[in-house]
Amino acid sequence: MSNKKRLMTYLKPMRKSLIMAMIFALLFVVAQIAQPFLLGKAIDAVGFSERDKYYIYTFVALGLAIGGIVFAYLFEVIVMNMSQKVIRRMRNDVYRKINSISVKDFDKKAHGDLALLEIRDMENIAAGLFAVFKTLIQGIFTIIVTIILMVMLHWFLAIGVIILSPLSMFMAMIVSGFSNKHYKKQGQLQAEVSSLTLETLNNIDVVQSLNYEEASTERFDEANKALKKEGRVAQFSASWVNPSTRLVNNTIYAVIGAVGVYLLSRSDPFIFITMSIGRLSSFLSYTNQYSKPFNEISNVAAEYENAKASLRRINEFLNLEDDVNNGDALINDIESIEFKNMSFSYDENQKLIENLNLTIKKGQKVAIVGPTGAGKTTLINLLMRFYDPIDGDIRFNDKSYLQVNKSSLRTSIGMVLQDTWIFTGTIMDNIRYFRQDASDEEVKEAAKKAHVDILIDTLPDGYMTRVSNKSGLSEGQRQMIAIARVMLLNPQLVILDEATSNIDTRSEKLITDAFDQMMKEKTSIVIAHRLSTIEGADIIIVMKDGAVVETGNHKELMKKQGFYYSLYSSQYK
Amino acid sequence: MIKRVRDSYKHNFVIIAFGPFLKIIEAAFDLLIPLIMKAVIDLNCGKEPSGLSAFVRFFNPKEIRSLDIVVGMVIILIMGIVGYVITMISQYLAARASVNVGTEVRGALYRKAVTLSKIERDKIGNARLLTLINSDTYQLQHGVLLFVRLVVRAPFILIGSLIISFILNWKIGLAFTAIVPMILLVNFLILRKTSKKYVEIQSDLDDLSNSTSETGDGARIIRASNQEKQENDKFEKRTSSYEEKSIKVNRLNALINPLTFAITSIVLIVIILLLQNNLFSGDVAIASTIIAEMAYLSQIFFVVVQLSQVTVEIVKAGVSGKRIDHVLAIETKIVNSDNPKTGSAKYGEELIKFNNVSFSFNEDNNYFLNDLNFEIRKGETFGIIGGTGSGKSTIINLIERFYEATSGSISYKGIPLKEYDLNSLRKDIGLVGQKSSLFNGSIKENFLMSNKTATDEEMISALKLAEAYEFVSQYEDGLDHQIKEGGTNLSGGQKQRLCIARALIRKPELLILDDSTSALDLLTDKKIRNNIKDIKDMTKVIVSQRVSTIQNADFILVLEGGKVVGQGKHNDLLDNCPIYREIYETQVKKG
Repeated sequence: MSNKKRLMTYLKPMRKSLIMAMIFALLFVVAQIAQPFLLGKAIDAVGFSERDKYYIYTFVALGLAIGGIVFAYLFEVIVMNMSQKVIRRMRNDVYRKINSISVKDFDKKAHGDLALLEIRDMENIAAGLFAVFKTLIQGIFTIIVTIILMVMLHWFLAIGVIILSPLSMFMAMIVSGFSNKHYKKQGQLQAEVSSLTLETLNNIDVVQSLNYEEASTERFDEANKALKKEGRVAQFSASWVNPSTRLVNNTIYAVIGAVGVYLLSRSDPFIFITMSIGRLSSFLSYTNQYSKPFNEISNVAAEYENAKASLRRINEFLNLEDDVNNGDALINDIESIEFKNMSFSYDENQKLIENLNLTIKKGQKVAIVGPTGAGKTTLINLLMRFYDPIDGDIRFNDKSYLQVNKSSLRTSIGMVLQDTWIFTGTIMDNIRYFRQDASDEEVKEAAKKAHVDILIDTLPDGYMTRVSNKSGLSEGQRQMIAIARVMLLNPQLVILDEATSNIDTRSEKLITDAFDQMMKEKTSIVIAHRLSTIEGADIIIVMKDGAVVETGNHKELMKKQGFYYSLYSSQYK
Repeated sequence: MIKRVRDSYKHNFVIIAFGPFLKIIEAAFDLLIPLIMKAVIDLNCGKEPSGLSAFVRFFNPKEIRSLDIVVGMVIILIMGIVGYVITMISQYLAARASVNVGTEVRGALYRKAVTLSKIERDKIGNARLLTLINSDTYQLQHGVLLFVRLVVRAPFILIGSLIISFILNWKIGLAFTAIVPMILLVNFLILRKTSKKYVEIQSDLDDLSNSTSETGDGARIIRASNQEKQENDKFEKRTSSYEEKSIKVNRLNALINPLTFAITSIVLIVIILLLQNNLFSGDVAIASTIIAEMAYLSQIFFVVVQLSQVTVEIVKAGVSGKRIDHVLAIETKIVNSDNPKTGSAKYGEELIKFNNVSFSFNEDNNYFLNDLNFEIRKGETFGIIGGTGSGKSTIINLIERFYEATSGSISYKGIPLKEYDLNSLRKDIGLVGQKSSLFNGSIKENFLMSNKTATDEEMISALKLAEAYEFVSQYEDGLDHQIKEGGTNLSGGQKQRLCIARALIRKPELLILDDSTSALDLLTDKKIRNNIKDIKDMTKVIVSQRVSTIQNADFILVLEGGKVVGQGKHNDLLDNCPIYREIYETQVKKG
């Protein structure tokens, strides 16, 4: 979808508000602009000693002033609300997109960018929409109404103003064209500074332990200095716009004023119009007002450019394809999983898994072992349908992965990864994550099984303690909470990918026992480095360099004295 | 050194002050233009020249009426051009001052962020530090810009216009004077209400930012548990709350302009009613006076509105400044000793000593480590084993001085840790943490961070020790291979091995492996341990949960619940320490 089309999808539902905004703007502009006209008339009424007319004009002007402000207020509020509504929906859509793109696309994105997209870019768009709508609608109406009134006052002078006014717009366009270029560059440098900060803060322990603070500060200073240099030019050139247009406007004002005063000094009418002091007074205030909307429109150029760049980034993200939930075959009970001649790689140039054949049946306890980089976690990525195979097939209950409904598949699987995820909220909320309807007692039961209840009980607020990804829980404690989640879910199939790697072995044993209890008659797939935890598995799949090199149970594999044997024995030597 | 935001203002005082001064000259020209206009009108209506009109007439000695107009116009134009040049200079100064302040404060914040201790930084939170550096500094910068451009000019125009309008006609002057406090009061009342709300809005925005990053981190789990919809709903509640608050503030804010405009309009009409007697009595000069007064009214109106808009921005900048100062004001408690000492230790001598060390996070009595006593000798392999939450990593954080002991003392080479220069202490230590953090850039660049003078040969030998040479040498670009986005293009095991190599490249006196081989298979893990065993001068502290990783250590410390429950060699511990024996049995024998 193009940027324009994207924006239109958000603006279309705003049609009614937009029309209302226009009506209010028109009313407000007319009320505002009629005043100098009426006051000019009042001044002239004085000249002819017409007191009645003088009062009528003055009080009509007073009425309009008060009516005008009501409309002005309504106009501004509607436009502001509109831009807020647009970015709320845009924010929600971006967030939804984060959750709906495939893991494959997601892994390509930097996480830090997402927060920038949701915050900075959205704020830019809100500011841009507000500025553009407000100045455009108000500006165009002001221009039209002012022209009409000027022509009514003195058509000859009006033509002069209309011909001269674009000068100030040209001036503004030239200057802002120059400054926009620098603004763009400034934006890039800002992004650089921000990503540098993000990287340092994310790895701050390492920075400090390596004594890298000074060198990293130097790097930051360098980026910051480049930003400073460009920032100066950008700010400076942007500040040319106002004075430059003011210079042009004042010149126009002086010219029109001079002609006006000359006409006033003539006693005979010039091209059938007699200039009066009231007319000149009104006319000069219009000359002043007339150029204002042009300047305002050119003033919002920076906001417009920022918003445009932000929209482009947002649109690029929203244009990512949603992950397809292909297939209508619902998998409610996983009977079998079969990898058939399956090949996969993350990177076209580097084959990772080639021609894998593997069958997992319901009720089996499967263990996957092998050295780092053998492709164990990749297997989980494929099984969870985070990634799709390049070649061959994965069959669930004898249905090709293409036919399988992803969410039904995932519902029946409970997964604990080495890299645990704790979100901001209470421990209770965190454990309840996979099963929102669970009672407090059930949550506590699950925590007990995951052996984390003792820890939670020592916390001042117990289960209601607020935690977050960074809140001081150790890796092991986080893993325990992640395990409690799965304990609570009690799924048909459990995947544990190095799920207990940071938990001490005594607790690990208790947790494993609890899992064994829970998983009776059910399927489990365990990846572990500590071979002691998987000795009891029904099948041990030994992987190396993307291929299965051995399968069998512990006894068989030990007897074989092959790769598994050497892995196992290394542990105790 | 910038210690507070105001230090940066002081630093740039000359440009910040000179800019507004130039603006005054330009503003004075702006004030003169309507008067010249009036002079021209008066001359045209046949009034006797006096004051400014005499000045105009001076250029027109032959008293040709239409030439007066041309003279007036030329004067106005010349003033316009001179004013333009002066403005440009002051705009440049404004840009320079504001960008300087922004840059300096940004740099100060970054410095603060990298010098704060772990506990202090965790209290602020990374998200907030990021917003401060990447958003608040720009708000501050914008505030300074507007300050230089308008804060002096606007009051000058305001007061100047009022005085001139008084001189021209005191009744009108009085009416104008009445407008200003009314408008300012309206603005003040509204702004006082909204500025509080802005703080809430900002924290809502922080929330949005946090939940976005969190969803990013949890992408797999959220998908695996089909919680996408619930997450979206939660987020939508947050955006709705943000929208609601923004709209409320906007409603208040939007009142400013219409109310200002209403006040001005009403006063304008009052003036015309007031002046009716002068008007109807046929006073010639009153017409030209009214035209000039209107020009001043529009200037007053413009300036007051501008002032209130600028006030909003400056209030926002003030809020940002306060947020920034709050962080800049935090003095890190973990500081260098004033009189740094250096100790020395020979092979086999005491390197690190914990003497009755206790530690708690909040300085309450909830101790996380309790009364630890042990020694690490130079050159030995020192193992630390214990369950989750037993305090293993906290010990490491204390040795690195990321944390400070709450009571007791820690010494390094016989001298208390506090008496060392932080850099020289950390220079001796090569730490490999649980999380493998690598930086964007080549492998070589990552290694140079650890040791600026490392040669390629040294890097290769470190890679070999860390069992990482094999995969690095497979890259076509070898050491120049790029690490992307903190290592997303590497597997967990590869990252851990690179981190170990990075620590070794420092040739540290003390190597700390804090559970840093968890993603490695046991064969590789063992190979690495064997490789480093023979580096005699290097003391090795290995933290692990696996007995197999530490059982060959020269000395083993067994921790449980923040207390030492056993120390000694593997065989002694098996006999004397029931907890150690239990750990061993669960791992080795199938229970």
